[in-house]
Amino acid sequence: MTADLLFYLFAACTLVCGFLVIANPFSLNPVTSAMFLVLTMVFLAGLFVLLHAFFLAAIQVLVYAGAVMVLFLFVIMLLDLKAEERRRLKVFGITTGLIAVGAILFIFLNTLAQAPLGASTTPELEGTTMALGKLLFTRYLLPFEVVSVLLLVAMIGAIFLSKKELK
Amino acid sequence: MSVGLQHYLVVSAVLFSLGLLGVILRRNLLVIYMGLEMMLNAANLALVAFSRFTNNLDGQVFVFFVITVAAAEVAVGLALIVALYRRRQTVHAEDLTCMKL
Amino acid sequence: MIPVNYLDLLRLAAPETVVLAGALVVLGVDLLALREVETGLRRLLLLILGAVTCGAAIAWMAAFPNLGNFMQGMLVVTPLTQWVKGGVLALAILTLLLSGGASFTNHWGEYVALLLLSAVGLMFLVSSESLLVIFIALELASLSLYILAAFHHDAPESAEAALKYFLFGSVSAGFMLFGLSLLYGLSGSIDLREIAAALGGPFLDPLLAVAMVTVAVGLGFKIAAAPFHLWAPDVYQAAPPPSAAFIASASKLASFFVLAKVLSVGMGGLEGRAVFGDYLPGWVPLLAALAAASLLWGNLAAIVQTNVRRLIAYSAIAHAGYMLLGIMGGKAGLPALVYYAMTYGFTTLGAFGVASLVRDRVGGDNLSDFAGLSRREPWMAFCMLVFMLSLAGIPPLAGFFGKFYLFAAALKTSSLDLLWLVILAIGMSAVSLYYYLQVLKQIYVVPPPSGLAAAPIPSLPKTVIILAALTVIVLGCAPNLLLRVLAAP
Repeated sequence: MTADLLFYLFAACTLVCGFLVIANPFSLNPVTSAMFLVLTMVFLAGLFVLLHAFFLAAIQVLVYAGAVMVLFLFVIMLLDLKAEERRRLKVFGITTGLIAVGAILFIFLNTLAQAPLGASTTPELEGTTMALGKLLFTRYLLPFEVVSVLLLVAMIGAIFLSKKELK
Repeated sequence: MSVGLQHYLVVSAVLFSLGLLGVILRRNLLVIYMGLEMMLNAANLALVAFSRFTNNLDGQVFVFFVITVAAAEVAVGLALIVALYRRRQTVHAEDLTCMKL
Repeated sequence: MIPVNYLDLLRLAAPETVVLAGALVVLGVDLLALREVETGLRRLLLLILGAVTCGAAIAWMAAFPNLGNFMQGMLVVTPLTQWVKGGVLALAILTLLLSGGASFTNHWGEYVALLLLSAVGLMFLVSSESLLVIFIALELASLSLYILAAFHHDAPESAEAALKYFLFGSVSAGFMLFGLSLLYGLSGSIDLREIAAALGGPFLDPLLAVAMVTVAVGLGFKIAAAPFHLWAPDVYQAAPPPSAAFIASASKLASFFVLAKVLSVGMGGLEGRAVFGDYLPGWVPLLAALAAASLLWGNLAAIVQTNVRRLIAYSAIAHAGYMLLGIMGGKAGLPALVYYAMTYGFTTLGAFGVASLVRDRVGGDNLSDFAGLSRREPWMAFCMLVFMLSLAGIPPLAGFFGKFYLFAAALKTSSLDLLWLVILAIGMSAVSLYYYLQVLKQIYVVPPPSGLAAAPIPSLPKTVIILAALTVIVLGCAPNLLLRVLAAP
């Protein structure tokens, strides 16, 4: 029962914060958006805990709320974006965008309502660090190695793109 | 009605649509990125929920990798924004008009 | 606890490991030994080192053809994947050598390393049947390509095109991931064969339809099929020419192969039917719609283009439409698809090479800049003639036989269901002849502008362009050379 209440609490907070990231009625400042994105990530981690994915919940907070958002804030500070807030939004674009995304959401929810998703077994899976770690270094060894190459690419790219050209 | 798989999937679908809405409507590239992150996170939530309710850890391992990939992507994406800002002094999608469509 | 045989993994992933090691060596050598060396020599050494690495990987695959399946679909090596990987590597070699005369950057170590790393990503993409590895490999290749597209340090358009590429690519990755999560949830597995067994068919569950559409949207961006093509013209026009050539050739080859694999292996029972009056939802109707849109939009928009690279981009969208026909041919259409994608890769790479040479000489790559090329550079003009006619599908060049086999494959497996689409494709390739001839008219008929001093063109790119043209002619005259080995079980 408590878990159910917590689910509704976390879900509502996730979605409200998610909405405030993209459309904050009080401020169009990217810093506010970034702050609400941190909250979205943290509440999502709460949902992960409710799903017994403890390791992922920790990773979510560490990587997203910790590292990714710091990167975002650094770039926002670095670029010093003051003039951006005055721009007018176009009504036509907003309407078409809203209709398109609304249609997609309607299709998603409609199919979800019809889908035969009765979870037959009682969930007993525990996403502990040990269980995930064992899988990572056996069955998922290859993707683990490929992802290390991906991080190398990101590193080269970030350094190359953001440094000033030396004369 | 107790909370089941469907509930999580609804949250995931709504979050995905919110992210997409941000990508389409907002003109600030940084906020567009935030919308992208929300789309990826919505997929993550669906993966974890499926993993829990089908008793199969594959989904959680998938999410572990997605988080890593997303972090790498953010690093490259923000570097691209910085590179663009150096040359054009803008982070607005509407200013990306060097070439006609 | 599953026992892992590390030696097994190393044996199967040896070509990828060779290229990866080559990329690291390139980075290291550039950093430690070549800092003081003059730029031209440094560029030459690094490019040759990269090309030798790719050659070594091809030689390894030819000498030790290890086939097998690692960890239930994580890495599946078959003769066909070996050939596709060989094609990716060959295109990578040509791209590297094409950069021989270029001067868009001074950071050649990073350039060569990223090109090799994106080739590694494409190779893993080709030879995996696990949703997870496919996603990661696709991201690895894409991230490297985003950076390669932004390599022009002085040109603002390059950064802008790369940013557009990145934005569209990331949205597509988001869509694809959402679709993959639904696929995983509905089947309980991330291995394509197990997914196909769990999903069954032929009737489509609504949630599965959503999964299929989102995955197709995600991969549709990568192959630049209309209406997900918006990034392609900008990237083709503004990225450094060799990067654009690699994006247009090798990345396209691998993306088409993986799309075909996900659909025909992972959703083997869910083809559906795209016939008027006898319609059954599935991926064939979905692809038929994408193909029709790409054929129409690509060919019609190409007519009004004035920039040659942009024209090639729109023609690439049209060619994506032709190649989608091969995917609809199912497993039997796979050899025809790979043949077409490979020969298309060589053709478009060569065309980018010529455009880049013209750009270096005249200062632009608009149609008018090609005026009188036949008088200045008869050999390059002849190569461009070969490329354009092959793209238009004129016999006896590779483009003609590629289209022929694609159409035959689409008609054979679907018992004339797709006749309407094939007729549309044939009609549209007649339209395409118009804009390819526009380019040739500039080259052969319009007199050159006066006042262009004769200047020698670098020999490395010239060799690459002639090689690509030779490949197109040889594979066109003797398509069985390649087709027979591709169709071998």
